[in-house]
Amino acid sequence: MILVPSHVPEVFVSMYLPAIYAGLIVGFIGSMAIAMRKKEIHILILTDIIGFAMMLIVSAVGTDLAESLILPGLVVELAEIMAISEILLSREMHKIENNPKVNVDKRISLFSLPYNLDMEVMTTAPNFIALVLIAYGLFLTGFTGGAVAGCGVVLYLVSRKARGLAIFTFEGLSGVSGIAWCFWIVGFALFFLLPEYWLVSLLLAACGLLLKVASKIGLVGVLMREDMNKE
Amino acid sequence: MSFEVLGGNLLGTIPFGDIVLYLTPFNLFMFVVLLIFTFLIAVSKTETQVEASLVKLENTNKNVGKKEFHQRRFLAVICGIASAGAMITGDLFDFTLFMALVGILNIGIVSAVRQVSVLNSAFHYGLIAMMCSLPLFGGAAIILAATGTLSLDILSTMHTTPMIIFGALLMLIGVIGESGVAPFFATKAEMFRTPGSPFIIIIHLSSLFIIIRAVEIFLLVLM
Repeated sequence: MILVPSHVPEVFVSMYLPAIYAGLIVGFIGSMAIAMRKKEIHILILTDIIGFAMMLIVSAVGTDLAESLILPGLVVELAEIMAISEILLSREMHKIENNPKVNVDKRISLFSLPYNLDMEVMTTAPNFIALVLIAYGLFLTGFTGGAVAGCGVVLYLVSRKARGLAIFTFEGLSGVSGIAWCFWIVGFALFFLLPEYWLVSLLLAACGLLLKVASKIGLVGVLMREDMNKE
Repeated sequence: MSFEVLGGNLLGTIPFGDIVLYLTPFNLFMFVVLLIFTFLIAVSKTETQVEASLVKLENTNKNVGKKEFHQRRFLAVICGIASAGAMITGDLFDFTLFMALVGILNIGIVSAVRQVSVLNSAFHYGLIAMMCSLPLFGGAAIILAATGTLSLDILSTMHTTPMIIFGALLMLIGVIGESGVAPFFATKAEMFRTPGSPFIIIIHLSSLFIIIRAVEIFLLVLM
């Protein structure tokens, strides 16, 4: 029984069986790898490979009906891997709850330097470098500028922390990030609605991105600081 | 094999284009029973496990917290509805999707417990369910490729070819793995060892009913 229409080239029709074999072989190799690995995170990732082999077999059919199978298959695959990773996470959290020191390795230090860096320049230079970074970031604008300015903010915070000074809290940082995102959206919309004001919209988008990226990196710095405080 | 041989009198069909839902006493009975169970689970309270304490002359009660209770009840109701859908559907791929959904929900029902051992077995069950989505969806796709349709109405009248048998065998492996029966039961049996009885039961019940329906579908396609 031939169900394939005659106008489909022979090459495509002959690809079906190799594709199915490839899918099954990939699945088999993935299963063997899962049998060999011992770490759970590796097993989780390898299981995803079997999911991709499933997509391979389903998409080998290549009709519009098969396309309607691919999307639910992909969604199911995603949902399952998210559910399993959540379970893994909550299990580790319960393990840590029961025994808080279970995963903490004492030897790890963020700046494991063999010699003592007790120089005056270490306490005075960071402020200036932070200022330079922020100014340079403002001048650059956009993604790069945001990254540079954000590094400046982080450097400032870290240097104050290292000297044991009080750090002003950045509670509003996420709010700034949200406003910057609105800037970016407004700039993007203006670009389409009023193309003659392209320069304004370009600047809005660039400044929005700058603030967004800078505040994001600043947030990362704040979160890192909180993690250090916990220890 | 036609619908009547397995399910009794054909009471009617509900055609949605290609997908034809067929109502036989067999399907309707399982559908209604699962809906009744789902309703009972939705209105019931959880059990409280009473265990003897070590060393002391006391009992300890193991209760289910309120947040955990809400989450479990919601997922158990969804699981019941998904299994009921698998009972009544007339489309091969809908069946596989309901099957996969039941697999995810089974993990979800036990995901909020605090025992590390239960979470461990849920993790392993989830891995097997994910690996078995390859034969499950792959088998359905191979049957689609061999016949050009997924409607059980049309599949039941077709003659079998080796490719259909291969696809059905793959699907059987998938159903067995997703519902956690026979060779894969070890992890799933461990998942039940947690308080919260009526919601845990739906895990068992759904796989039981889905296996029965899967046997019907395989007989329809193959015979």
